[in-house]
Amino acid sequence: MRRRRLGWLGGVVSGAVMLAGVAWAHITPPVVLMSDRDAIVTLLAGAQRFFVREVRLSRSEQAQIKQQTGWTPDEDFYRFYLGRDGQGRLVAGTIFVTEFTVHGPIRIAVSLGPDGKVRGAAVVELTEETYPWVKPLIDRDFARDYAGQDSRGHFHLSARLGNLEAMPQFYGQVIASLIQRAALLYDVGVLKRGDAS
Amino acid sequence: MNGIYLSRLPWSGKVFCTLYLLGIGCGALAAFTQAATAIGLSPADVQASLAPAMPMTHMSAGQMMGEKEITLGEVSSAAKVWIRTPLLIQTSHTHLFGQTLIAGLLGLIFLFASVREWLKALILALPFVGTLMDIGGMWLTRFVWPGLSVLVIAGGSLFALGYALITVISLWQLWIGTAVRAAGRRGAGAPPSEASL
Repeated sequence: MRRRRLGWLGGVVSGAVMLAGVAWAHITPPVVLMSDRDAIVTLLAGAQRFFVREVRLSRSEQAQIKQQTGWTPDEDFYRFYLGRDGQGRLVAGTIFVTEFTVHGPIRIAVSLGPDGKVRGAAVVELTEETYPWVKPLIDRDFARDYAGQDSRGHFHLSARLGNLEAMPQFYGQVIASLIQRAALLYDVGVLKRGDAS
Repeated sequence: MNGIYLSRLPWSGKVFCTLYLLGIGCGALAAFTQAATAIGLSPADVQASLAPAMPMTHMSAGQMMGEKEITLGEVSSAAKVWIRTPLLIQTSHTHLFGQTLIAGLLGLIFLFASVREWLKALILALPFVGTLMDIGGMWLTRFVWPGLSVLVIAGGSLFALGYALITVISLWQLWIGTAVRAAGRRGAGAPPSEASL
């Protein structure tokens, strides 16, 4: 009787341990690669004065972005960090954009010039699970393939990157799409609304 | 409970319970360190990561754009995690399953401790209540009032307190209490009491 009870207890305990293991396996702590300030300083190199611009998108602006990318902007407002020279001329703007994937968020900072063209991009935050997939892309400085493109450019992975495994390819495409979103938001929120300088 | 006591478990049961409790303790320390570095341990840190982003330009509701000059000192230099709603959903589902399973297994071990019934019920409820308060506090901070971030800290502390009490009492009864009772039994021949602690 006592042995049966212990057997029952062992079964329950083993089942619970297995379930706990499965649940914990899906908890992926975030990995922050750089602070917002570091990203802004890096991406707005050359600027002497810094401004923050916050923009709420109208329904027509949201519709325009959805039409071009299939993505609907859903934030209450979007924040741009603008770098200007001593005379107040726009040097570049930076925006942080995030995609929430099944493996956790990927947040990147994208810098765009006064002409709406990408100047650079940096991965700011990802997760422990996605880091090994994104690291090969960071090591290859893959974001430089999008420099000089505007929101209507081709945001695909370049052949320069060689044979990537499936997950780095997938996340490369996710990040490329984020860069395009940033370029579109910059078009709408900064260029079309006019430079306040 | 039902004639099974921690002090009377066979060696395999004692080793299992001990290693589980120690393993969860190591995991809890790692989780604590991770929370401290990624989010912070004060209600203000939790609030900064969870509360809805407020416009830096003091743009009012309904206003479509705002801009102001800033210094770089106004931009966060800390590598912090920004928890937005999709990440909150993801975090909630993984942590509610994971922490509840851990609380369940801790409680299962503690059910066989020789402690007064009311005290046992109180202690084994702590990790469950802590989990609900922790995750619930995150949602309340984001959607009800940022000041409720204190619930996240209180919930985490309750979980930790419950774990610590369960572990100390269980380990005592698994290894030290046995010897004490065995010595006592040799003298008096008394069975272990439900209220021996």
